Amino acid sequence: MSRFTRRVLAMARKEVLHVRRDPRMTWLAIGMPVLLVLIFGFGVRFDLDRLPVAWVDLDGTRGSDALREELFVSGEIVLAEVCPEVECAERALRANRAIAAFVVPAGAEEDRTRGNPVTLQLLVDGSDGTVANAVLANAEALAAGAAMASAPQAGSWQQAAGSRSPRSLIATVIRYNPRGESAMFLLPGTIAYVLALVSVLLTALAIAREWERGSMEQLFSTTVGGLEIVLGKLLPYLLLGMFDVLLVLSVGASVFALPFRGSLPLVGVASILFLVGMLGQGLLISIVTRSQMLATQLGAFSAVLPSLLLSGFLFPVENLPWPLYWLSMIVPARFHVGLLRGALLKGSGWSDHWLDLLGLAAYATLTVVASAATFRRRVA
Amino acid sequence: MTPWRIQLVALLRKEIAQIAADPQLLRVLIAAPVLQLLLFGAAVDFEVDHIPVAIVDQDRTSTSREILDGLLADATLAPEPRTTDPDVALAAMDRGDVAAVLVIPPRTTAHRLSSRPAPMQVVLDGTDVRRSTVAASTATLYAARRDREGGPPSLQLEPRILSNPTLDTPPFMVPGLAAMVLVITTTLVTAMGLAREREVGTLEQILVTPISTGVLLAGKVLPYAAIGLMSASLCVGAGSLVYGVPIRGNLLFLGLAVGLYLLNTLGAGLLVASIARTQQQAFMGGFLFMIPAILLSGNMTPIVAMPDWLESLTRLNPLRWSIEAFRASLLEGSGFVELWPHALALLLLGSTLFGAAVLRFRRSVG
Repeated sequence: MSRFTRRVLAMARKEVLHVRRDPRMTWLAIGMPVLLVLIFGFGVRFDLDRLPVAWVDLDGTRGSDALREELFVSGEIVLAEVCPEVECAERALRANRAIAAFVVPAGAEEDRTRGNPVTLQLLVDGSDGTVANAVLANAEALAAGAAMASAPQAGSWQQAAGSRSPRSLIATVIRYNPRGESAMFLLPGTIAYVLALVSVLLTALAIAREWERGSMEQLFSTTVGGLEIVLGKLLPYLLLGMFDVLLVLSVGASVFALPFRGSLPLVGVASILFLVGMLGQGLLISIVTRSQMLATQLGAFSAVLPSLLLSGFLFPVENLPWPLYWLSMIVPARFHVGLLRGALLKGSGWSDHWLDLLGLAAYATLTVVASAATFRRRVA
Repeated sequence: MTPWRIQLVALLRKEIAQIAADPQLLRVLIAAPVLQLLLFGAAVDFEVDHIPVAIVDQDRTSTSREILDGLLADATLAPEPRTTDPDVALAAMDRGDVAAVLVIPPRTTAHRLSSRPAPMQVVLDGTDVRRSTVAASTATLYAARRDREGGPPSLQLEPRILSNPTLDTPPFMVPGLAAMVLVITTTLVTAMGLAREREVGTLEQILVTPISTGVLLAGKVLPYAAIGLMSASLCVGAGSLVYGVPIRGNLLFLGLAVGLYLLNTLGAGLLVASIARTQQQAFMGGFLFMIPAILLSGNMTPIVAMPDWLESLTRLNPLRWSIEAFRASLLEGSGFVELWPHALALLLLGSTLFGAAVLRFRRSVG
């Protein structure tokens, strides 16, 4: 064993002792990711089926009743209440009993039988953007379906519903996630996000603590170098992190039936690179700040929002404005979210994700080298 | 002056001196929330558009081009380079480069001339539910229009959006984002501050003085409340200048809402500090409150989509009430009349957090 590895291992042993002296922290480091994945697995979703929609019928004919059945039959929207006038629907929207309301104008059935186009009004509560956009997309598709089914020659809305879109131009095929559960889409991102947070939490204080307590001076009096300290500090937390990876993946598989279609070595290598990058980020902050208070602030700011908003976990990176899009290139979660999604859900392999791996490896190298270099300069 | 006031003033002087001794931290506490708000205000876009689509045009006739132009007209779908090989397109979907593939098989035109159904295919990446829903609805809408041979569809929708009519994301996001970044500074810093005193041993020195637990905690919290108010005002100002967030509501009520919000975030920080023995534990404990509070606030993902048990649990989330109150006050000009339930909920939750912190603290000291 070379001197270098011996020193790194000695540092690692010292850090393990630190960790073991505070068993509460070990429990937090193991329990927190599992807890967070469980909460977010259930809570962070975009499944907006069964949206409550009100129905305002100013026409009041049998034809408008049939149209209502046609629109609500799929179950994508559910009838919240039937209103005689618009004010009643607006009240329902304000009280959150409904998220949108269809308004059938008077004379709609007459127009339809004459072959004139009918215009339904759709009132949407815009206070939640995601919900409003989902309602709009759903309602437009439902109306388009109803429109196709209701060619003027058809006897009624209802009669036409049976022979839906005979001349439809388009056949739709959904791959990977045919039931359309958003949990499948969000779980890989949740896993990456939780790991990003825990890694920074573990190391952001690791060196600031030694500065504050004065034990850093004692380390300087030894022959251990900057890179050796950095690697020695990383190693125990990397093991803890890999344990967390296995834990959250098995929680995903057992609780949420998250598939694992791709290659295990790919996910393993990517997770190690990702963890080294995020642990290194925490360590770098810890070296630069010297005070634990400041380290927590910078650690939180560098991990909480960037990994959430610039990673593609919730919102696609392609839709970011260009300055943020470029900024997302230095957020490792961005590469890891895409890779986990591909490897777990689609079974994609090394050749599909070499760019993601490259990004992760670059970030890991960067943070470790920067930590060691900053450290050396601080010491001098 | 009554003794407790003298005690409080003395404590405040000590705390302020301590905060002033670390100007780097003070700068971070005041500036970081605003900077994050400005940086990430434009990061969230609820509107699903520019969905990357691979186009496989095997027909290559004027009709197939016309169909594609019609489908791509409203920029909901963003075409990637076209190919004639479906396998290339599907591989791009495996990599995650495209979210949908449009396949126009050969002889589509011939089919259409004989008015038989033309089997054009839309292959969707089902993992992203929002994108696949929107892409499918775009295709259906187009099919409906085309089915009418250019005439107006027999059934049209005229959407009218109440409150936030343009569905413009930044003004909508900024109040929530402010609540998210302020919880990072306020909760963590209170938790860490007390944990540090415990670690260094100065806490015991204070405890041997006749200062009561309530006064001690108030003295700890008030300076951070002032810092929180300051960065909240900066956030409101920056949000309205840069992202055009309107300030329609009563400023007095907004101030009250921010105050109640801080009662909760600082109370949570104190509660964490009353349990944690080291700064590292305080850091982790702070996250254990912050991250679920942020992600389950309804700001990023809709609360309607949560299972019922979790939806009721979010009623205990002070961030949910705060964000709803900030948003309604700023964007809709609502005041105490509409938002008293929010104020009441925040008051109850905040006092519970504070009370629990005082109780736990007393016990852990005694």
